[in-house]
Amino acid sequence: MSAFAIGLWSFPVLLALIFLRAPIGAAMFLMGMGGLWLITGSPDMALNLLKGESYSTFSSYSLSIIPMFLLMGQFATLSGMSTSLFRAAEGWLGHRKGGVAMASVGACAGFGAICGSSLATAATMGRVALPELRRYGYSGGFATATLAAGGTLGILIPPSVILVIYAILTEQNIASLFLAAFVPGILAAIGYMLTIAIYVRVNPTSAGVKARVPYAERLRALLEIWPVIAVFGLVVGGIYAGWFTPTEGAAVGAAGTGLLALVRGNMTWALFQQSIIATAISSAMIFFIILGAKLYNSFLALTQMPQELSLWVVSQGYAPLTVLILILVFYLVMGCLMDSLSMILLTIPIFWPVMAGLDFGLISLLDMQAARLAQGIADGVAMAPDLLAAAQTKLAEGVPLARDEFRALGLRPVTQAMHADFNTTLTAIWFGILVLIVVEVGLITPPVGMNLFIINALDRTTPITATYRAVMWFVTSDLIRVAILVAFPGITLFLLR
Amino acid sequence: MQIVITRSAQLMALLGGLVLCLLVGMTCISILGRALNTVGHGGTLGALGLWLAAYTGPVKGDYELIEAGIAFAIFAFLPICQLKAGHARVDLIATALPARLNRILTAFWEGVLAAIIIVIGWRLYLGFLEKIDNGQTTFLLQMPVWWAYGASFLAALVAGLVGVYCALMRLRDVPTGTPHMPTGEGAEL
Repeated sequence: MSAFAIGLWSFPVLLALIFLRAPIGAAMFLMGMGGLWLITGSPDMALNLLKGESYSTFSSYSLSIIPMFLLMGQFATLSGMSTSLFRAAEGWLGHRKGGVAMASVGACAGFGAICGSSLATAATMGRVALPELRRYGYSGGFATATLAAGGTLGILIPPSVILVIYAILTEQNIASLFLAAFVPGILAAIGYMLTIAIYVRVNPTSAGVKARVPYAERLRALLEIWPVIAVFGLVVGGIYAGWFTPTEGAAVGAAGTGLLALVRGNMTWALFQQSIIATAISSAMIFFIILGAKLYNSFLALTQMPQELSLWVVSQGYAPLTVLILILVFYLVMGCLMDSLSMILLTIPIFWPVMAGLDFGLISLLDMQAARLAQGIADGVAMAPDLLAAAQTKLAEGVPLARDEFRALGLRPVTQAMHADFNTTLTAIWFGILVLIVVEVGLITPPVGMNLFIINALDRTTPITATYRAVMWFVTSDLIRVAILVAFPGITLFLLR
Repeated sequence: MQIVITRSAQLMALLGGLVLCLLVGMTCISILGRALNTVGHGGTLGALGLWLAAYTGPVKGDYELIEAGIAFAIFAFLPICQLKAGHARVDLIATALPARLNRILTAFWEGVLAAIIIVIGWRLYLGFLEKIDNGQTTFLLQMPVWWAYGASFLAALVAGLVGVYCALMRLRDVPTGTPHMPTGEGAEL
């Protein structure tokens, strides 16, 4: 069997192990070690690799952001901001039809801004919002489904642990990905609120009414959430402005939410211990999978499988959009069965080379060149008027400028290679956001949707089937949003161009 | 036995958490120092600026401390993850299988997990010996690399012990079905 064939076959075998209930990290570890052994003919290479690999993975500076963001989320849970966020959202939205449910979604979005994890968001907001939803007569399945869907905003709205891992896997800039995730995250919240508005009109008995809150009280409640805005602004803004690295930003966030919990008197020794233990379990789980994935990918790289697969897909001449849609559907199906992180670690090393090989035409060379000219004009670069006019006419006629023409104008040239690079970067970011959304849908799709389980555990009186039925409305909203984002890449990318 | 294992896993997790919190604090101080230094160099503060430029700055070797500390923390987090059955799994077919077969599978994979952690620990130990031999140090602080390797190895040792214990307990559960171990509250992400 050729190395390529071994690489190709390893994937279904790996999936089989995983469905036989192997811990996912362990399954990848075994396949990686076994695969390296099979290809090199001896276990020496794999064992030698392992002498430094576990330490170097666990000590990676770029990965150290993960435990820090997890700690930030845990402290955010302790900070009690969930209650303030819910009060503020309820003040403004609560009196509408389905308003308390809309407020829950709004509060989830706010909490997502200081917490990078969906399950933590669902669990924290669930504890605050479920009793309120119950009090105002919202039906069981509708209430639990709303919170399960709202919880996914924890990861869609930056900071986001999954996005960090995607960024590391595809070697993209974390700040750009956070920025790109912002608008789709807001769209998700709006989409969920629209879904709620439609749902309560179709099922009028599913929601009660709540009295209007006076404006003075609304404003007071809104002022209470300033720490959330401050922490979010500092962390995401600071990373984007380049004040600090993403890891440092995560440390600032953890310190910020930790301080908040301390100041508000919610940080007891017992609760602090609980946050540490929760951070420990999640971090260990993630790093163990990352280690397994690294070994598995070392093996895959040796077989050349991802590159050859990518070349093969490109040579088939499929429309790029078809390939993208097939991959997204694959994630949606797998998402019903697997957790999001494992899915990303398992498949991105294989799918990303394929995507990078395709040209989605997200930006044209002409646009980039025109932007460089416009930048030059805005910066007041002294350009010969006749040359500038000639260049602009050429671009208007659809003829790209050559290197020398830029030099003559005193500008840095925009070349084919730069265009190809930037196009790939945009593809990576767009693809990352789409993947993020579809794997998050997996958190709320039956039968295996972790958010559904978490929320249902908080509300024993609602049968999970009732949650399943109501959550399909939110899944529909997700699917519509994915379709919109696929059709209009600009929504995701306009902040970056 | 259960108490000893549980306590040591918790202790390791808290130790790792302590290191993580220290790193968070150190990073914030480092950022603050760097910011003050930049302000000092800005030249708008006069004498105060000169003082700031001379006496403030980022923590020396902050990246190196983060790398060494996080490695220890993650190794120290492994035992509790093991004990609380926190490793991610796909439980799709669990409901379709007979309970006994499920218990056998759980015990089997717990054993594999323990074996993997022991292999990781063993290789880490060899890496540790190599780092002592070649005397490698970090770039800025000149801190011997084997320190962090050694601390990580100790944590991996505890993880190995906890792993073996978990596997044995799961094995004990197979015939009777009386759970001696958590059935997996799972990790949060």
